[in-house]
Amino acid sequence: MNARERLLDVSELEPPEPLELTLESATRLSAGEYLRMLHRRFPCLLFDNLDKQGYGHLIRSGRETACEVFIWRRDDAMAAEAAHAAAKGLSEWRE
Amino acid sequence: MNYAALSLEQTPPLSVPLRFFLTAPLFVVAAGLFLIVYGQDALLNRWTPWTLALTHLMTLGFLALVMVGAVQQLLPVLMGASVSRPGLTSGVLHGLLTLGTVALVSGLASGSAPAMVTAAILLGGGFGLFITVAGWGLWRARSGHFTRTAMMLSLLALTVAVAFGVNQSAGYAGALPLFREYTDVHLGLGLLGWVGLLIIGVAYQVVPMFQITPDYPRWLMRGLTPVLFLALIGWALAHSVPAWSAWTGTLFGAVLAIGFSGFAVTTLWLQHQRRRRLPDVTLDFWRVAMASLLAAVLVWVWGRVSGAVPELLLGVLFVMGFAQSAVNGMLYKIGPFLVWLHLNNRRQTEGRPQTGIPNMKQIIPERSMRYQFRLQVGALAAVIAALALPVLARPAGILVTLSALLLAGNLSLAYKTYRTHA
Repeated sequence: MNARERLLDVSELEPPEPLELTLESATRLSAGEYLRMLHRRFPCLLFDNLDKQGYGHLIRSGRETACEVFIWRRDDAMAAEAAHAAAKGLSEWRE
Repeated sequence: MNYAALSLEQTPPLSVPLRFFLTAPLFVVAAGLFLIVYGQDALLNRWTPWTLALTHLMTLGFLALVMVGAVQQLLPVLMGASVSRPGLTSGVLHGLLTLGTVALVSGLASGSAPAMVTAAILLGGGFGLFITVAGWGLWRARSGHFTRTAMMLSLLALTVAVAFGVNQSAGYAGALPLFREYTDVHLGLGLLGWVGLLIIGVAYQVVPMFQITPDYPRWLMRGLTPVLFLALIGWALAHSVPAWSAWTGTLFGAVLAIGFSGFAVTTLWLQHQRRRRLPDVTLDFWRVAMASLLAAVLVWVWGRVSGAVPELLLGVLFVMGFAQSAVNGMLYKIGPFLVWLHLNNRRQTEGRPQTGIPNMKQIIPERSMRYQFRLQVGALAAVIAALALPVLARPAGILVTLSALLLAGNLSLAYKTYRTHA
């Protein structure tokens, strides 16, 4: 089975919509899927929510938007591996 | 590597900022009632007891209360600096500042010396505690954002403004030697420094965040508040040191005028470039705020050229037009956002599903905020008109009161939503 990417662009939404939509989209991830979230700002409230709900994440500086976050279910090794591979071409997030 | 990520536990309790936000509009209600009772006598010139009382109802009762409440929220959330025992600190600050403002306003209006001494003690203690807590928090803050610099400079300006304010209050009662010649320094550092720099610093974050605009240019964020602060210190020294010639004050004043108008024009330009072009009442409040700031600068320039600055008009444009509008508009974003955030956090920590949380537009209905915006613009126009046509002072007071009552009602609605869904 191939891992799949779900793309979510929240860069033109007002708080707290980016957080709401991202958490909601994360709950819909199927096995092997990871979420790639694009945002114009650093979503400082997102990560503790993800940790507490059992998701892993990677934060990168984006190409089209300032920040990209890769999200997967912590028990989904294939999605995690695919998310890391997809994030490889992007640089580490810097504030 | 923590970046500026926040843990849910880092968010201070909702009561920390909300007790300030809910109390502040009541002081504007008092200001409106004051205008209704005293009418044109409250708008004769800046030195009458009623004008001084009215001014402090707005600057301490509304602006300072909201700003002190907001800083306690922003320190951990934007700056990554936690305040120890936030509930207790906030309760003590709230008590000292609200009672101190009531004492000061009654002292100014009645001439009561004990009230003025009480005000000096309570407000000196309240602001002293706030400056210590916020200063310590900012010193340790992890964030390297320009907002931190703006907040620190704003606190320094507040320190000087409070020192002169306490002196004037206690000096008025004969408890200390009174340095009345420093009134303008108290006023300048309080309004342009504490209020102006803090609004600018917070705008760097909240305008792009909530109004979906591009970021302020980096060079502007880096340079504006330090330049304004230095110009303000230069202006204050020119007012205090007899050897400094009058043109020095004008020179520093010109730097302040250019800096503040640059901020206003940039904000309007960023708003013009916003990506999501939906009607937004906060955006409209901020447009009024920026237009008023530009008008205040023009009035100041015109006054300097013609040789007589219309002080009351300048004060109304800056305090009510600029600062009150900006703060009022931002309350409509910060209030509902905090309610949403705390409902989300509660569900998260209690392991409940995060469904059924009302969205921002359900927390305070747009229509109700829009009514208040119209009342506020009407109130601003009426107060300005009353400076030229004193007969309008009482109708202006009615509009000020109604607008503040509706603001208080709207913010209470946000709290009610929280109680219903918590």
